[in-house]
Amino acid sequence: MHKVINQEIKQIISAYPEVGRILEEYNIGCVPCSVGSCLLKDVVGIHNLDPEKEATLMYRIEKAIYPGRNVPKPVVDASKKSAPKKITYSPPVKKLVDEHVLIKRLLALIPSVAEYTETSMKVDKDLILRCVDFIRNYADKYHHMKEEDILFKYVDEKAEVIQIMYKDHDTGRGYVRQAVEGAEKGNKAQIKENLLAYRELLTQHIKKEDEILYPWIDRQLSTTQVGEVFQKCNAADASVGDALPRKYEKFIIELEEKFLQEVTK
Amino acid sequence: MSGCPGSKTIDFSEKTNQEGSETGKRPSQLRQWPIQMHLVSPMAPYFQGKDILLAADCTAFALGDFHKDYLKGKSIAIACPKLDSDQEVYVEKIKALIDDAKINTLSVMIMQVPCCFGLAQIAKDGAEKATRKIPVKQIVVGLEGNILSEEWL
Ligand SMILES: [Fe+2]
Ligand SMILES: [Fe+2]
Repeated sequence: MHKVINQEIKQIISAYPEVGRILEEYNIGCVPCSVGSCLLKDVVGIHNLDPEKEATLMYRIEKAIYPGRNVPKPVVDASKKSAPKKITYSPPVKKLVDEHVLIKRLLALIPSVAEYTETSMKVDKDLILRCVDFIRNYADKYHHMKEEDILFKYVDEKAEVIQIMYKDHDTGRGYVRQAVEGAEKGNKAQIKENLLAYRELLTQHIKKEDEILYPWIDRQLSTTQVGEVFQKCNAADASVGDALPRKYEKFIIELEEKFLQEVTK
Repeated sequence: MSGCPGSKTIDFSEKTNQEGSETGKRPSQLRQWPIQMHLVSPMAPYFQGKDILLAADCTAFALGDFHKDYLKGKSIAIACPKLDSDQEVYVEKIKALIDDAKINTLSVMIMQVPCCFGLAQIAKDGAEKATRKIPVKQIVVGLEGNILSEEWL
């Protein structure tokens, strides 16, 4: 087992698909992951399961890999601090979680925007570009930059979880470029396909951050670092002013009203 | 149960669970004087830009590893929300620590007894009055020196 624990998760899953299914039962979504070079021990560690759950999970994985082996039943280490049930964030991380809410409101509108684009006579280029403006300036510049330039700098940036976040941000930027190109050319299918892909990507991305990555980072931050991250994020916000988040909140409200009317018309 | 839980007599001298080592010396982590909230000045150099621990008087006696685990790396002010007078001054001092001394964070450490939460309230009031914003944490210590909770407010 010692050897397996230090193996890349993708290799383990491809050799023993049952392990992927077990992980999924524990809401550890390694199977669809595009990279998969996390080590099994890190995968389990990052999810901060309570000791009992973790021991049972490891027991089941070992059983799946070595069915013939007489694996000892899990011994629960009660002295290990169990994970708190409700996730609590430090103030700077909480602010980032709160920013996800406005981004999720745009994601919720994307199917309507895509549908509207498909069914209208001519592509509403202005609408697409305004959505893109939100994504680029609020989701990306205002929000992702605080993650990339401030928060992620406080943990091991080479860690795979962080690499995946960077990759997601980049992939998202690619979809947005494609959607803009679609809008310029009046290519409905291109717009729809890329906006929907962006929605799918960011939905998963935000879920990963809220539930796994941010709590993992918070567990590593010292009190002093929490204060530093808080001040740096505040300074970043102050440098753009509060007009920016207000402007984009207003945009989302307008969009919600527009599509609510479209639906009820 | 009747009477104030803050001054109710409890004897746990029979406690047998005494894990931990008796060997080795622990150095003091105190890096300043004075420490009492009425005696300290928010302008003192040891507060500037620091992480501050605002500790209820009793906490340091209850916690076995107060110096090593909580005081280390921080500047401190102590107070008793039950017995101290002129506590409005405390609120103003917290505000000055945040706005003028530009402290990095404020951790309020209190005992689990209800009256001790008054100190957390003082910290919250001071933080609210301040124009600058900082993270504020509350740590609650049990009577037998265990940490009951530690959370950002
Ligand atoms: Fe992100
Ligand atoms: Fe994010």
